[in-house]
Amino acid sequence: MMAHLRPLFLAALLLLSSAAVSAQADPRMLVADLSRDEVAINTNFNGTDLLLFGAVKDHPGSEDIDIIVAVSGPSQQIASRRKDRVSGIWINTEAVVWKNAPTYYHVFTSRPMAEIVSDAARDRFDIGHDYLPLSYVSDTLDKETVQAVWRPALSRNMTESGLWATHENSVEILRDALFRATVRLPANILPGDYQVRVLQLENGQMVAEEITAITVAKRGLGAAIYRFAHDYSAFYGIFAIIFAIASGWLAAVAFRRK
Amino acid sequence: MYIYLPIAEVSLHIGVVIGLGGGVGFLSGLFGVGGGFLMTPLLIFLGVPAPVAVATEANQIVASSVSGVLAHWRRGNVDFKMGTVLLLGGLVGSSLGVLLFALLKEIGQIDLVIKLSYVIFLGIIGALMLIESIRAILRARMPGAKRGKLHQHNWLHGLPFKMRFRRSKLYISALLPFTIAALVGVLSAIMGVGGGFILVPAMIYILGMPTSVVVGTSLFQIIFVTANVTFLQSVQTQTVDFLLAGLLLLGAVVGAQIGTRFGALLKGEQLRGLLALMVLAVCAKLLFDLVITPEDLYSVEILK
Repeated sequence: MMAHLRPLFLAALLLLSSAAVSAQADPRMLVADLSRDEVAINTNFNGTDLLLFGAVKDHPGSEDIDIIVAVSGPSQQIASRRKDRVSGIWINTEAVVWKNAPTYYHVFTSRPMAEIVSDAARDRFDIGHDYLPLSYVSDTLDKETVQAVWRPALSRNMTESGLWATHENSVEILRDALFRATVRLPANILPGDYQVRVLQLENGQMVAEEITAITVAKRGLGAAIYRFAHDYSAFYGIFAIIFAIASGWLAAVAFRRK
Repeated sequence: MYIYLPIAEVSLHIGVVIGLGGGVGFLSGLFGVGGGFLMTPLLIFLGVPAPVAVATEANQIVASSVSGVLAHWRRGNVDFKMGTVLLLGGLVGSSLGVLLFALLKEIGQIDLVIKLSYVIFLGIIGALMLIESIRAILRARMPGAKRGKLHQHNWLHGLPFKMRFRRSKLYISALLPFTIAALVGVLSAIMGVGGGFILVPAMIYILGMPTSVVVGTSLFQIIFVTANVTFLQSVQTQTVDFLLAGLLLLGAVVGAQIGTRFGALLKGEQLRGLLALMVLAVCAKLLFDLVITPEDLYSVEILK
């Protein structure tokens, strides 16, 4: 791991020095980038780690700097369902459909969240999965119940599946200027555009923000199969049947007892 | 080595997938059943989404039925006329089943219906097979016990559209096999099974077909029904994972050959008794999951 981090870190340093040179021209105080700008989901994909690195250019106060990184994946409709016991068995009864929930949302912080930023500020800056602005559809449930019960259930289920998480103390800050974090993308992520938001905070106040992006895309044989299945679904079905008949026949011939 | 399945969108260890195919293939060779009723629940258990497990398993059963039917065909154990009536019923039933499947998926109850269907049908068939095989074993120990009539005549034989099935030595209404096959077709689309475990007893006990042609004929019709499910699911829900089916097949082909050889060492009624116990075990596990209080009452599904 360390062996391939070193050149990246050098790159970060270079980035920092070049940023220092152009300090007058560039109003940004914060620079950040990822070790890759595309993640390929190919047939041997089983999740991957990305290195996020960056530098803080200016540092106005005397306090230590704090960094929060929020990585959010493509938004989808997500259905939350509750089971109830109906004549002895557990059945999905009520449901809430979240209209625009991120299918991946991981937050990384340099210190425990509570020490860096107040809940009010988190709400204002949409930091953390409890503060995401989500709209929903429900036929039967009132607003209070959804907020008090269904929203935490969504967070719990998504965290359980590894798609949402908060990693406190996972952003490493060096010499009050450079920072880095390992962003884990699990195997069950969806392809799409991922937004990486880096926030610099001091005394609970946001002093700088940098947004960058990464693309996750299906590649190789898996992508070809997926496109075939979706774009030419009738041919795909026929092909799957022919393949099955041919291999079944081959197996019968190969193992036929003489 | 992990492999990312492009349609299921999960990453599984390649050894686990081929091993699963091999294990279920061994049992299907041993007992002479398709094995879908074991494979589909196990795939769901591994984390493959239920719709993908059901549709992909249909694709795999096409292959295993083709390889199975060839041996029966060579021995002349396929009643093609009966098979054709059955497959017409099966096509109608499985087409309805795929529509029903899409509807249940829409309202979020597909997992429940899949599991309930398994519990009900595995429970009934398993219990019947167990009773039958215990009786057969007891009968074998008590010589002189009377055998019952081959099949009784009742109101079912008064139905119209009578047809003569020479290979099966039957003169019955075509409506009867057609309806049975249609009902099994619905189940096969919903449960991701060939339906042999329901069709075979139905052919023996309800239609009164001779046992020698039952397996070959049911395999013959299963090819068409599962091919139909594969095609319709591909078009409607895009849930057939070709890569997963191929890997399962690889293991199943070898497993089935080994299973067949082992099967020759055991007696028929002992085999049926063992199969009944296995069917009941799967049923009990699924029932248990439905009855115990879940760890979390809430669950999420990412809609696409």
